[in-house]
Amino acid sequence: MAEVAEEQEINDVDLVARTQDGDPRAFDDLVRKYSPRLYGLVYNMTSNHEDTNDLLQDIFSKAYRSIRGFKGKSSFYTWLHTIATNMTINFLKKRSRTRGMSLDDVDNGIHHDPDFIEMTSGPDARREVNLKELQTRLNEAMMKLSNEHRAVVTMFDIQGMPHAEIGKILGISEGTVRSRLFYAHRQLQNHLQEFLVP
Amino acid sequence: MNSDVHKLLRLKRYEHPTPDYFERFVDEFHDRQRSELLRQPAWKLAWERLVDSLPDFRVPRLAYAAVGAAAVAVSAVILVSQQDQGLPATALALNDPRPMVNVLPPGRGDVRLPVSSRSDFPPHYVLEARPVSYESPYSF
Repeated sequence: MAEVAEEQEINDVDLVARTQDGDPRAFDDLVRKYSPRLYGLVYNMTSNHEDTNDLLQDIFSKAYRSIRGFKGKSSFYTWLHTIATNMTINFLKKRSRTRGMSLDDVDNGIHHDPDFIEMTSGPDARREVNLKELQTRLNEAMMKLSNEHRAVVTMFDIQGMPHAEIGKILGISEGTVRSRLFYAHRQLQNHLQEFLVP
Repeated sequence: MNSDVHKLLRLKRYEHPTPDYFERFVDEFHDRQRSELLRQPAWKLAWERLVDSLPDFRVPRLAYAAVGAAAVAVSAVILVSQQDQGLPATALALNDPRPMVNVLPPGRGDVRLPVSSRSDFPPHYVLEARPVSYESPYSF
């Protein structure tokens, strides 16, 4: 696992160096590699597909313009996620509150997910879950969090990043990451009561 | 950590656009880059090229502009102050209306300086001052 991460890191270093030397195809490879992951980050913070698409374009444009200034002090992955998080939070501060949600389709893979199966079938099934309703309620609950708390929840709970990595991206300590998570989970628990075990 | 909330949130990873979205995304990114390039004014492109050509000493790039501006300002101050002084010191000495006298002994050269008149030094009076003396005052 660590070897794979190291190999990826070396690959990133090479792609970044080639981009800095003026090879735009190398940056295309970085866009292909990171767009699905960054999409998840931005989408779960905005709950809107169109906004996510526009923001993602802006994020990669900004990264391309700034890549000469990237010195490799952190990994490219951390650097790019920092740009994405800052730009998304700035965007959300300016966005009109009236903008509604436009949610992506849910992958059919969810029906095979053990947590989903546990929740929807068996003797202790919480309730008859309508997938669309669950999706809407989850997104509504997420949107009730502050931007900073939503960022931490997105990175930890949905994207599975470790606390230390989240701290680096947001420029905060691991302790602050943990306390934000604790507070956010407590809030989400209140909003999602009906889907949780009593 | 609340594991039920965590499990519920993990389900959100199944929300994503169709796979061809990401292929189209790269093409859209190229189109956007090209249009951005066309929209940028020429001076901005020239500025970016200039900044990129400068060596990077981990100095903020705007600092180069600040240093350049400071250099121009200092040069301007020096030029203006020289103009205010008018003639240089040697020319001033030559134009001095006071009589000149050689300050070196005869045969040692000729260095002439203007003779000071009383009017060059305003009168200076000392009132109620005692001369300094190391003798005891004998004032038992």
